[in-house]
Amino acid sequence: MTTVAQLASVWDRELLLTGCQAVSHAVKLADVDVIAAYPIRPYTEVMDQLSQMIADGELDAEYIIADSEHSQFEIVKHASSVGARAFGGSSGTGWMYGMEALVVTATDRLPPLFLVGNRALDDPGAFGVEHNDAMSIRDMGWLICWASTAQEALEHVLIGYRIAEDKRVRMPMALAMDGGFLTHAQHMVKVPTLEAVKQFLPPYDLGDRVLHPDNPISVAPQVNEDWVIELRRQNWEAARRARKVIKEAYQEFNGIFGSHGSQYDNPYFSEFMTEDAEAVLIGIGAVCMPTRTAVRRLREKGHKVGYVNLRWFRPFPTEELRACLGRVKGVGVIDRDFSHGSPDDGGILMNDVRACLYPLRDRPNVINIMGGLGGRDISIDECINMYERTLEVARGHVPAELVSWTGLRE
Amino acid sequence: MIKRVEVQYRGIFQKTLGKYIGSDIVQIASRMGKVAFSNGRYSDAPERNGIPCKYFAFVSPDLSEEELEAECGSSLDIADVDVSVVVDDTMAKGVEPWGWHGIRPVNEKVGHKSCLLMVTRHDHEHLLKFTAKQPFPYRLATLEGDASLAGLWVFKDDLTRERCLGAVAAVDPAVISIEAVEEYLLDTTQDADRARAARDAYDTTLRRIKVVTPDQGIDWPHEIPVLPKWHEFEEGGVVVQGVKRGFELGPRGQNRNDGFKHGTSKTQRPVVRFDLCIKCTLCWLDCPDECFDPTDDGLYDINYEVCTGCHKCAEVCPVKECIVMVDEMQFEDDKSPWEQHKKDPAGYIQWAEDKKGPTRIRYRHVTGEGFETVEGVTVPAKS
Repeated sequence: MTTVAQLASVWDRELLLTGCQAVSHAVKLADVDVIAAYPIRPYTEVMDQLSQMIADGELDAEYIIADSEHSQFEIVKHASSVGARAFGGSSGTGWMYGMEALVVTATDRLPPLFLVGNRALDDPGAFGVEHNDAMSIRDMGWLICWASTAQEALEHVLIGYRIAEDKRVRMPMALAMDGGFLTHAQHMVKVPTLEAVKQFLPPYDLGDRVLHPDNPISVAPQVNEDWVIELRRQNWEAARRARKVIKEAYQEFNGIFGSHGSQYDNPYFSEFMTEDAEAVLIGIGAVCMPTRTAVRRLREKGHKVGYVNLRWFRPFPTEELRACLGRVKGVGVIDRDFSHGSPDDGGILMNDVRACLYPLRDRPNVINIMGGLGGRDISIDECINMYERTLEVARGHVPAELVSWTGLRE
Repeated sequence: MIKRVEVQYRGIFQKTLGKYIGSDIVQIASRMGKVAFSNGRYSDAPERNGIPCKYFAFVSPDLSEEELEAECGSSLDIADVDVSVVVDDTMAKGVEPWGWHGIRPVNEKVGHKSCLLMVTRHDHEHLLKFTAKQPFPYRLATLEGDASLAGLWVFKDDLTRERCLGAVAAVDPAVISIEAVEEYLLDTTQDADRARAARDAYDTTLRRIKVVTPDQGIDWPHEIPVLPKWHEFEEGGVVVQGVKRGFELGPRGQNRNDGFKHGTSKTQRPVVRFDLCIKCTLCWLDCPDECFDPTDDGLYDINYEVCTGCHKCAEVCPVKECIVMVDEMQFEDDKSPWEQHKKDPAGYIQWAEDKKGPTRIRYRHVTGEGFETVEGVTVPAKS
């Protein structure tokens, strides 16, 4: 095996790329075999890029244009079942339209990767980011991970395939990113060499489960209640095993790329100034930019605040978040999603975080801030305000409302 | 105390009949002041043509409805049935309602001294050539009649329903009494003939109940599968069993799913006159269950274990009297007919014609009109 030191460099070049373009470069480097496309903003650009790469002879892959997301996802699923590394994606209601295919991809235990360019769910028609589309599959047996920079997006295509395809896991992978803020924003991105990628990402091998004329098997037969519990238990076990595989994948990734610029301290989330923090905000995606800026400004004034940028949503980092947030007194959860009628009428992330922390003896007080829905900006000042409120509950004040809204015209 | 009744019927073709008998028992028992409810085994594959299925009726004189449902309503199948009504006697050969269930004896759930009640034109001795031995005595009752096959949306109103109610009252009056059956039928239909049919069936069934002793019946030839634990089978619901990589397709080398043979769905089987076959391939091509095996001499053998008796081959065969559907109860094994034909061509023709008999029976399932009988023709052997 080639060691890191023997590689001249793990990076090939640096390019100005949007989030979608960064993903397309990673898909090319992962040597994906089958791509199925159907357009919807804001994820579409990744498919534009990939078709261009194929037309230019840079990528050798089947590129199938489907008649809808349902067909698109079915094509991806079936390609994955015959042993092809497959890629798809969608946004918003398009993602929801293919729901049946998304569900069976997980229960068939196949590991394709999908890009979800997060988009608000219509109606009214809206292009901006909300996380409900990707979160809609949270209970289905999917791996769900958010990238918050284009660089992370590129790297998580590679990390994602590696985890999803591991024979201990074999679950589909949804790589989500904030529509607009990340899908369309251009940043300088380091593109790795093919050699480094090959060292990190082994070929896809479905083993005895590969559907092929020489390997006649039945996939997805009709079963009755005498089988389903056992199948669900298998899925449960795979989702549990995924935690170990995720850890291994990031260690390996750090080993190859870490000393050359990309290093992940923790697979599941990145912490910013949390060590001695009294109050911490936690959120997903591009909101990490204004929150971390707010942390810097508040730290200058002596306030002990920090930020947790959550990357992995499924599997949920239960133990890791308990260790991290169990140290602080107040936690504010920012939800760029909604779950009307849920406990405390709060967001999906808040209710997961709060449930995660509940078994702790000295659990922090948790408040919830709903914001940025439909792609509205969350400003630095709003983040400072969120921290002020989280500091209050950290100091024992009972908040006027557990769930509040920010950026709302009122 | 709980009385458990199961109605074993053929999916689609007798679905309405099975359901009616179940609901009639509930209503009659309710009129008798008992608590009762009925349900169907929902997952019967899910009620495809001819698949053995079950409806249940539960009756209790002393439990509350909630307790009765808690005891009986939540399980896939029930053990220890008081009365098992079988509305098509070809199910005597075994029932395989879904994959990995195995082919089970029709009397599997009949408890000690309980009663297996079959609608049939055969006698007890013939039925016991197919049913499994039980370690305890039970009763076998027969109600003379044909399988009342209809369609999913149609019901064949031929008094089988009323007669079954009368027969149930005869074999176990603690479920429903004949007086209550008559009163219910008169009250709900205003038709004295229906009540009379139930009373006639009651009277004749009383004379046709025999005790089956543990030495009667057959040693069950089919394995009852043990379902694997959650970590003992392939993930993703993938079935990898049975077939090796790089396998070769026929002749006679076809691989089939051992987990679901499907052959207990049939009421008739195709009998082939191989000497008349023109090798047109249509039976092999059109068979939806792929039960035809190409042979070295260009003919098509039949694997009766996987034949569902759908009639398709007989319909598409262009040669008169080459493929004819024959009552399944005439056959005691699933031996390869082509091998019999190869061993003794003349003897095979005679055997086939004997099985076919003088008449041809055609079911018209979809119309609910039952079957029609036409005269057959004996075609002489072709050399």
